[in-house]
Amino acid sequence: MIPEKVEKLLLKVQKPGRYVGGELGAVIKDKQEVDVRFAFCFPDIYEIGMSHLGIKILYSLFNEKPYIWCERVFAPWMDMEEQMRAHDIPLYALESGDPLTEFDFIGFTLQYELSYSNILNMLDLGGIPLLSKDRHDLKHIVVAGGPCACNPEPITDFIDIFFLGDGEEVDLEVMELYRTCKKDGKSREEFLRLAAQIKGVYVPSLYDVSYHDDGTVAAVTPRDDAPSVIEKRVMMDMDNCYYPDNFVVPNIEIVHDRAVEEIFRGCIRGCRFCQAGFLYRPVREKSVECISKQCHALCRNTGYDEVSLSSLSSSDYTQVVPMLRELNSWAKPEHVSLSLPSLRVDGFSDDILNEIKTVRKSGLTFAPEAGSQRLRDAINKNVFEDELMHTCRVAFEGGYTTVKLYFMIGLPTETMDDVADIANLGKKVLDTFYSTPNRPKGKAPRVTISASSFVPKPFTPFQWEPQDTMETLREKQQHIKQTIIDNKISMSKLSYNYHDSDTSYLEAVFARGDRRLNKVMLEAHRRGIRFDGWSDCFSLQNWLEVFEACGIDPAFYANRRRSFDEILPWDHLDYGVTKEFLRRECERAYRSEASPNCREQCLGCGSRKYGGGVCYEKR
Amino acid sequence: MKNVRVFYRKFGPCKYISHLDTNRVMIRAIGKSRLNIWRTEGFNQHAYITFALPLSLGFASECESMDFRVLDDNEDLSAIPDRLNACLPDGIRVLRCAESVHKPADIESAAYTVILEPMNEGDISNKELSEKLKAFLDSPEIIVEKKTKKGMKHIDLKPYILAFDLHEGDKVCFDLKLPAGSTLNINPNLLMNAFADHLGIELYADITRAAIYTKGGEAFV
Repeated sequence: MIPEKVEKLLLKVQKPGRYVGGELGAVIKDKQEVDVRFAFCFPDIYEIGMSHLGIKILYSLFNEKPYIWCERVFAPWMDMEEQMRAHDIPLYALESGDPLTEFDFIGFTLQYELSYSNILNMLDLGGIPLLSKDRHDLKHIVVAGGPCACNPEPITDFIDIFFLGDGEEVDLEVMELYRTCKKDGKSREEFLRLAAQIKGVYVPSLYDVSYHDDGTVAAVTPRDDAPSVIEKRVMMDMDNCYYPDNFVVPNIEIVHDRAVEEIFRGCIRGCRFCQAGFLYRPVREKSVECISKQCHALCRNTGYDEVSLSSLSSSDYTQVVPMLRELNSWAKPEHVSLSLPSLRVDGFSDDILNEIKTVRKSGLTFAPEAGSQRLRDAINKNVFEDELMHTCRVAFEGGYTTVKLYFMIGLPTETMDDVADIANLGKKVLDTFYSTPNRPKGKAPRVTISASSFVPKPFTPFQWEPQDTMETLREKQQHIKQTIIDNKISMSKLSYNYHDSDTSYLEAVFARGDRRLNKVMLEAHRRGIRFDGWSDCFSLQNWLEVFEACGIDPAFYANRRRSFDEILPWDHLDYGVTKEFLRRECERAYRSEASPNCREQCLGCGSRKYGGGVCYEKR
Repeated sequence: MKNVRVFYRKFGPCKYISHLDTNRVMIRAIGKSRLNIWRTEGFNQHAYITFALPLSLGFASECESMDFRVLDDNEDLSAIPDRLNACLPDGIRVLRCAESVHKPADIESAAYTVILEPMNEGDISNKELSEKLKAFLDSPEIIVEKKTKKGMKHIDLKPYILAFDLHEGDKVCFDLKLPAGSTLNINPNLLMNAFADHLGIELYADITRAAIYTKGGEAFV
């Protein structure tokens, strides 16, 4: 039930359906009957947040517990925020319409650094004191999890508890503890101290950080028996890991408006730029039977006629073709179509194409990431040009005419020749189209090359690397354009676009930032900065002014080469992969050497300690 | 194969589902209900449903209808409302289902129930508001700007007010009948906005479509 005051404002804003709830599958409980109320906050708008799988898993998981009521909260778009502030309407949860102040837990998912400013804005809109130290009683516990929790240091002043790794168990353990503490009349401090003893829980206020004169971290010291190293949690048995059989089905169209089935967690590849590839180790698969059963239940319960088979690299699923056949045994007669995102260039086969062939031949997207083989080896992308051309040929023969290729610029060891090869690779795909005898006749091919800027991330072999300066990135962007022009490639067949390097810069600062950035966040919020992930809101200039006002040099975080010996701000967090392994991988990158994937050879990354998954598969 | 029409209410949070999204919600509900209906047979096959008269975003309705074809001639139409309701959000409730009688093109007018209040409490009393409304609707002509495909056009709404009936009570609540359908459709908001402009006060209109009529003045079924 939305607050009555809201109703009158809804027709003044775009897409009022974002703010009213009332969807099929939304869970309504009696608040008198529950012990713990959890506000699951996604720091972006409804259409983005509702597309996120993690929120769906945890929402259902929490609500299965009779003593917890988990509700959803999204960031209102600026027009709605303006109305809410003007009419004193605090940020409310969609199920009950109650403001954030009514909740025991206010949980955020940290999907990307550029959403941090929205976290502060949402707390503020909800009437929750921004700083952890200003929240006193045993209520309003602000928690956060998700990939960015692997270096949460820039937002430690605002968040009481971070969950590291898979949330399915640890979140519930913390809520159970809270419930007990509340019954026993314990204080907030006592609760936080006890929570810090749970594996996977990081309570930043229990750690003191000191710095060297040069600004690097000198030491991170725990207090009150908090562990000196905080280990991530991992769900090892995916078949028996909780998965919802129903989703909240939005009434308005969202970005990914379909059923989603996670087919495995982790990735065998170890592409050196990819944080997810290291954070979610080891690879743990679900069985075909489990996937089919879960997908079928989801489609039946939601009414969706499309299911997306989600993972970091779908074609690496060991049973991909048997899985698709099994799924299609019921999906085809029930008019359900399958989509398989995140296909690798080398994992694309006729067999797969036949099973996922949908009526809409929109286009195919591949991510070679780098233009030259040398650089692809250095980043360990392990994709070869002939594989890409073969795949494109298969796609063209299958009737596709549109191919999108994703690249990154600013990768470690990159030269201008590597950059030029991005354009050259696009050209070669075009040539492949024309040399495919069975290509779609009478249609022009369209190849899009898209270049984003590399952001070095914690827990990757490139965590020590400087990001290219924005100036260099811009030069590289222009160099691709110039190469297309110089080689007289038809711009109507090869289109080129690049992502704004400004946002990548800010992302780089916060991805590897330390606790001194907390004051930057606070100041940015004070100046009304939010929705940094949206190009119509983002202004690097505003951010640079904030850094200046706070006396912080952003280049220290983004553009500095860090020494292998340096204590990194996230060194007290343990995601399974060891620093020694990451260093070995980094040094191999300098030698432009690729590494075998987890199924070919174990590289001793450290994740074997979890006792399962790919590390123990027969090779 | 039978052409059937279901009638449903749309209210509460579901008022804010646009026409396009309503289509999606219904297709999912039909899929979930396992109702066997005719699907298009082109390249992009999908369950075929149509709506007689789109409803503006933000309006509630007591009389929405959706048409589809059931493949089984012996399908029990009386069971369809319950089957669909189990698959729809609470703010959409199917009331009945029957073989369709009228064509959407037969629609000529629609009746609305409007509750009017000032956007900001205290701007105007309900008594004054209803008196000013009566006077406004009594004026010889009500010229408004209407967006058409050919740009902005001035039209006089006066002749289009087919019926107006102010309810007794504290709230400013009234029934209003206006032309509706594919050829001439007058949105009650057009009139309400003109009134608000005339008053110089921001108004909030809670609008419910109460009934749809055909050319003979019969209820659309």
